[in-house]
Amino acid sequence: MKNGKFLKATALVLALAAFCALAASAQAKVQLTMGSWRADDVTQMTKLLGAFNQKYPNIEVKFDPTNPPDYNAALRLQLQSGIGPDLMYARSYDTGVQLFKDGFFADVTSLPGLKKVYSDLARAPWADDKGNSFAVPFCAVSHGVYYNVDLFKKLGIAVPQTWEDFLAACKKIQDAGVTPVANGLADQWDINEVVMMNILPNFIGGAEGRLAYEAGKAKFNDAKIVAAFQAMKQLAPFCPKGFEALTYNDSNALFVNQKAAMYFDGSWTMASFTDMKFAWSVFAPPPPKGKKGFVTFHPDSGIAMNAKTKYPNECKTFLQWLYSDEAAAIVSNSIPTGFFPIASNAAKITDAHADAFLQMSKSHPTDVRFVWPKLMSGKPSGYNLLNDGVIAVMTGKQTPQAAADDLQNGLAQWYAPAK
Amino acid sequence: MNSSSKVRRESGALWLLFALPALLVYAAFMAVPVINSMRLSFFSGSGYTLDNFVGFNNYLRLFADPEISARFFKAFGNTWVFFGINMLVQNTIGLLFALILSGKGFKGKGAFRTIIFIPVTLSVLVTGYIWKLILNPQWGALNIILTKVGLGAWAMPWLGDPRFALTAITLVSSWQWVGLPTMMFLAGLERIPEELFEAAQIDGAGGWLTFARVKLPLLLPVVGIVSVLTFVGNFNAFDVVFAMEGANGPPSYATDLMGTFFYRTGIAGQHPVGIPDMGLGAAVATVTFAVLFAGVLLANRLMNGREAQGAEPMARPAAEGRLRA
Amino acid sequence: MRPPSMIRDPMKPFKYLLLSLWSLLVFFPLWTMVVNSFKFKNDIYLDPFGLPKAINLLGYKTVFENSPFPRYFLNSLLVTVASLALILLFGSLAAYGCVRWKSRYSKWIYLFFVAGLTVPIKIGSVNLLQIMIKLGLLDRTISVIPVYVAMGLPIAVFTLYEFIKGIPGELTEAALIDGAGPLKIYSSIIVSLIRPALATVAIFNLVPIWNDLWFPLIFIRQDSQRTLILGVTRLFGEYQTDWSKILAVLSLSCVPVIILYLTMAKQFIEGLTSGAVKG
Repeated sequence: MKNGKFLKATALVLALAAFCALAASAQAKVQLTMGSWRADDVTQMTKLLGAFNQKYPNIEVKFDPTNPPDYNAALRLQLQSGIGPDLMYARSYDTGVQLFKDGFFADVTSLPGLKKVYSDLARAPWADDKGNSFAVPFCAVSHGVYYNVDLFKKLGIAVPQTWEDFLAACKKIQDAGVTPVANGLADQWDINEVVMMNILPNFIGGAEGRLAYEAGKAKFNDAKIVAAFQAMKQLAPFCPKGFEALTYNDSNALFVNQKAAMYFDGSWTMASFTDMKFAWSVFAPPPPKGKKGFVTFHPDSGIAMNAKTKYPNECKTFLQWLYSDEAAAIVSNSIPTGFFPIASNAAKITDAHADAFLQMSKSHPTDVRFVWPKLMSGKPSGYNLLNDGVIAVMTGKQTPQAAADDLQNGLAQWYAPAK
Repeated sequence: MNSSSKVRRESGALWLLFALPALLVYAAFMAVPVINSMRLSFFSGSGYTLDNFVGFNNYLRLFADPEISARFFKAFGNTWVFFGINMLVQNTIGLLFALILSGKGFKGKGAFRTIIFIPVTLSVLVTGYIWKLILNPQWGALNIILTKVGLGAWAMPWLGDPRFALTAITLVSSWQWVGLPTMMFLAGLERIPEELFEAAQIDGAGGWLTFARVKLPLLLPVVGIVSVLTFVGNFNAFDVVFAMEGANGPPSYATDLMGTFFYRTGIAGQHPVGIPDMGLGAAVATVTFAVLFAGVLLANRLMNGREAQGAEPMARPAAEGRLRA
Repeated sequence: MRPPSMIRDPMKPFKYLLLSLWSLLVFFPLWTMVVNSFKFKNDIYLDPFGLPKAINLLGYKTVFENSPFPRYFLNSLLVTVASLALILLFGSLAAYGCVRWKSRYSKWIYLFFVAGLTVPIKIGSVNLLQIMIKLGLLDRTISVIPVYVAMGLPIAVFTLYEFIKGIPGELTEAALIDGAGPLKIYSSIIVSLIRPALATVAIFNLVPIWNDLWFPLIFIRQDSQRTLILGVTRLFGEYQTDWSKILAVLSLSCVPVIILYLTMAKQFIEGLTSGAVKG
């Protein structure tokens, strides 16, 4: 009898233990999904998330990117129907703020240490006007002009310091039978984001200039903006043959295959410059003679958590880890080349080209992309007005003045200070 | 006697039961959504819930708001051009191919038929991407060939010039779908009784006269069906622009069709912010439906003018149009 | 009188020339796709239509190794097979019911289905999106199945109705006398008699369902739930594009349909166009 009881008790205990173990493992193993528009970064992000998983074996974060043009719409649809990812890339400024206002992003202002690692300025792109953060700042990108160093040497061209020098260099390259500038218009966004908004701060006087427009102290069709459109017009004849139909990827290929000598683009593109057959480097967009030069250093992605996630604590654990001192080195080294960590505790960039890019933004005053902070989300969006204007000017459909007028009139429809 | 009474007893409820699964799925996922989408064109709301009745406001914005109406009328006009070129190119070539293939004793008919029809079976997205590569101004095959044969001046940025872009994507669409009219005309030609040709030949009518006097009149119903098919397909086209140009219909909205405009307004929202205006989208869909309905009705009138027939003769071609939707 | 084939046709060489040129035009893009899928990234730009100088299998390798494409492929297969099966089952049941039910209601039901032939289902996208959200099917592969079934039913009912109506009454009469119920008659007699019509309906729906972009695009985002065609759009990353990889995927995505088509070209062409000229 005794034996029997003992056996029964043992069996019971074992069963309980097994059950608990099962329950524990079922409970503790949490899989979080992370939405992103960075379809190109699967490898690097998997590495980063793997490092997190090593530290927290019970939390696995799965990287699940969408292709970029669909990201904003798809994300909103998912969040609205309650099936959004637990963690997700958040666009800076307006696009992100809208989702925060609609209650989809959780408020992360009170995450311990956040304010220590990120200054108010660094947090601002992912915060509403009251200063509440809806995402942990993650990466910034920079912009510049890539150039073929070998070709410049061969033709005896120095890195242009002014816009006038730049145009002269273009002429010289073109005379030598090489396309000076690789950029095209087919994908639309690139001519806007990496060319126009790359050079624009030089013409309007950087952040200070931008703030004047945003405050209504300057009109969007003033001489400075017209000059920037004019510069785009000057650029057009130096673009490749058929540039109207060249996609972003075509431009990249033209530069890589040495068919074009220069290429306006963002720092992220470096990641695609593997096994290059020539020496290349980058210079800051040259300002018009007598003006100060700026670099567009743009807050690109933050990481937000879903306000309705089933695993708020795990999400917070991840976000805190992301900017913790111990993760700083891992983050700096595993975020894709050409993206720059924003955290104040970030480690030094090891890639030489990337570091050169970063130094460029340290030796120049910087600003963000012109339309991002305020002009994005009305109808018509400043983004689209600028984009349409640049394309119309470059294809000769509009004068720079007319394009600037359209920008002013379009914004005046909804942006109060522009009226 | 026994059996027929049994049939009568089984009528009604039982047969309805047979039709029920199909009826339910069809009603819930097609009939109701289509009607409901029209109803929703009178509502607005935030995001995906539309609960605020606004009367004709969405239509007012569609037709009168300077920003929106400019886009709408541009897309509407482009779709008609898309349809016009397709009618002219795709269906004329289709008729020509059918005439050649239907020739008595034409060798290789089977092989050519199979080849002409291949693109119909492929995804528009796939063929669109490939044609985009071929039309690339820098390394696309077309411009390289043009340059090699001394027509370098004709090497254009086909997809980037507002003058050519719409024509270029329309021709790709024609290339893809020409197999359908070819086969339909072929089937029509093969049903024309042999004696009619013989009679015409005895009368001394040449190839052209036989075509004009005998074949064409007898083919008219097929012409009508092919036209309706093209019409319905073209007003729903989306993939070809999405693959070759993107959902914005660049350059400067030159390739924006009703399909892409609907996608941007009602489903995805305008890049870069991406907040859809579903009520407005529903209005776009309703207008598309109205145009289709009027067009199909008109074609039906023209074709069945003599005898009043029901929906059936028109039914099939519309279904064919689904292939491209 | 001479048979028409004996009449000399001076245009004949031109006819063959024209058709041969068109055939070239059909094959050229396919050639471009397949040939370039074996090239190295930069060779595509330097020589876009010659044979590859060096074979690069990396494009294909990335498709099979540690990539979501096999998953996309299975999703597409699931969607296509399930949709077709349901269309055939529901469609034939409904058509049979409508034929046998001699009443004006059945005629109405039939016309209700037939009316769907003239309406493209895309018109209902706005509401369909809301329905999927309510049903909790959004972002799931299976969300597109009911839509495809609804889309395929009108043509199925229309085609099968005509076919079943043409079945001589004696064939089912005998079974009726033997005491077989309607369901038994349907499963043992009707289904085998309408097989050719079922094949037509299946082929008719197969191509548009396999190739559809619209509904996956608006319903599905999540990686694991994508169909093949939707997955293809993901190949164009934000910042870089590897054409050899893209073309490898495009080539593979065409393979199933091309194989089916080439083995049954006649049925495909007839299935997709027959009856269209009936009216």
